[in-house]
Amino acid sequence: MLVVSDLVAAYGKIEALKGVSLRAETGRITCLLGPNGAGKTTLMMSIAGILKPRRGSIRLGDTELTGLSPARIVGQGIALVPENRLVFPQMSVLENLLAGAYQRGDKAEIAADVERMYDRFPRLRERREQLAGTLSGGEQQMLAVARALMSRPRVLLMDEPSLGLAPLVVAEIFRIVSELNRDGTTIFLVEQNAHMALQVAHHFYLMEQGRVTFSGSPGQLAEDEVIQRAYLGARRAGG
Amino acid sequence: MIDFVQNTIDGVMIGASYGLLALGFTLIFGVMRRLNLSYGPSIMIGAYLGTLIYVQFSAGPVAVVVMTVLGAVLAGIYVERLCFAPMAASAGIASMVSSFAIWMQLEQAAILILPRHTYPFPPLATGAPLELGPFLLRIDHLMMLACALLLSAGVQYVIYRSRFGLALRAIIGNPVAAHLVGIDVKTSVMLAFAGASAVGGIAGYLVLAIDQQVTPMFGMWATMKGLIAMMIGGLGSIPGAILGGLVLGVVEAHSLWHFGPQVRDLVAYLLLFACLVLRPSGILGDAPAAETSIGRRSA
Ligand SMILES: Nc1ncnc2c1ncn2[C@@H]1O[C@H](COP(=O)(O)OP(=O)(O)OP(=O)(O)O)[C@@H](O)[C@H]1O
Ligand SMILES: [Mg+2]
Repeated sequence: MLVVSDLVAAYGKIEALKGVSLRAETGRITCLLGPNGAGKTTLMMSIAGILKPRRGSIRLGDTELTGLSPARIVGQGIALVPENRLVFPQMSVLENLLAGAYQRGDKAEIAADVERMYDRFPRLRERREQLAGTLSGGEQQMLAVARALMSRPRVLLMDEPSLGLAPLVVAEIFRIVSELNRDGTTIFLVEQNAHMALQVAHHFYLMEQGRVTFSGSPGQLAEDEVIQRAYLGARRAGG
Repeated sequence: MIDFVQNTIDGVMIGASYGLLALGFTLIFGVMRRLNLSYGPSIMIGAYLGTLIYVQFSAGPVAVVVMTVLGAVLAGIYVERLCFAPMAASAGIASMVSSFAIWMQLEQAAILILPRHTYPFPPLATGAPLELGPFLLRIDHLMMLACALLLSAGVQYVIYRSRFGLALRAIIGNPVAAHLVGIDVKTSVMLAFAGASAVGGIAGYLVLAIDQQVTPMFGMWATMKGLIAMMIGGLGSIPGAILGGLVLGVVEAHSLWHFGPQVRDLVAYLLLFACLVLRPSGILGDAPAAETSIGRRSA
């Protein structure tokens, strides 16, 4: 289980996370919803070790992750599909996948995993020699997911995987999220698309201005209320 | 005609040394996207340590090579730790200016170690030149050319075919994503710096073994030649570094023969200027000068 406790993170004087506590249960899909600027990406980047939080703890099982380098955190079995994909634009699709397996030494197994990714994302097989920067947005998102999976993570973090994608591609991404979870991967997902997220999530959190404002399971709150609280802000909506 | 061919041959040989210097420069620039003005001076530190053990302990050629390369690598890592590692990615100018400050510091250090202006440097090969019809080929020049071709092929292989090269290209492509896939970015960058300095150290050794002497001016000379050759060949392109060096060498050799040594250096700057105006990306560079092509799949 991934447990975040009382996490505070700041950019200079601006506190983006003001004491966030939440958990992603092993083997489940946990979803985090919230308006622009709520601090969702800040939280993901802190878990991945890119940002160093001011206070609080992030634990995976018995291991404290705060203070570890991003490379060590990958070694602990966490992989992040970052906001805006961040593929390596001048490298081929295949090289992007190989970079995803950077910490692994088992060449034959890596090659087998590349084939598995191609089976899961047939588009990537067709385009394996193409430079990643020339892929369409949806293809880049598939590649970013596949690249993260190449490290064989126990916990997959995803930051707005549906951003800017057509509805069909979004549905495809969510189908894959469910599939990955069925195969045993713990998933912690940040989304703007509350409708899709609530369909796959076992548990969800709402976040606003650096604080968690709601925690529950999808049936617990009507969808339009979630949307209102997540995107219009609880205070204004509840007022 | 015979003179023309002989000058061209000489130019290619000298150009090979410029190409080697540019190769190390290109590696640093390609990975960091920053100009390391201390590149030549850190090679000079290696050369001074090499000549020190030669003068003091009459060390043999192998020991001098090892000392020169090792010294250049240590000085290179020192520069990286001081000027590049602590600076934020956006602070390119700060890195460049501080690398200039370290240049002055390294020059002073060299003068402290060996205070006379000129010191002897052990020659590489003293045998008679090969004769090819009317043309002469110096053995040490041939070794220089062979080293330039081998090392550039080696660097090309490492960058595009090895796991370490994959990491470097990932860092060039997107440093945050490189962290996210588990690459130890800091260590990789430092190793790239060390590798570039080693290439520079080999280049420096070969040049000085041909000149058979070293002065504190060598640092500035190496930075200038490497920089000009890199700009002509194409910023960030590995074959471009060697080609740029060869073009610079040939043009210099001809102008030296026709107009003498002062004009030779002037012509080198004119060539750089013409190149920057007519083809800012250099001969083999396909990106504008602000970018780099090392990260591309095929250079
Ligand atoms: N590099 C930065 N420097 C300064 N402030 C930042 C930086 N990155 C984010 N912030 C601020 O931190 C707050 C949280 O940003 P964050 O990116 O985590 O939001 P988010 O929930 O991911 O939003 P979105 O849904 O738009 O992606 C915002 O107010 C933002 O302006
Ligand atoms: Mg975000």
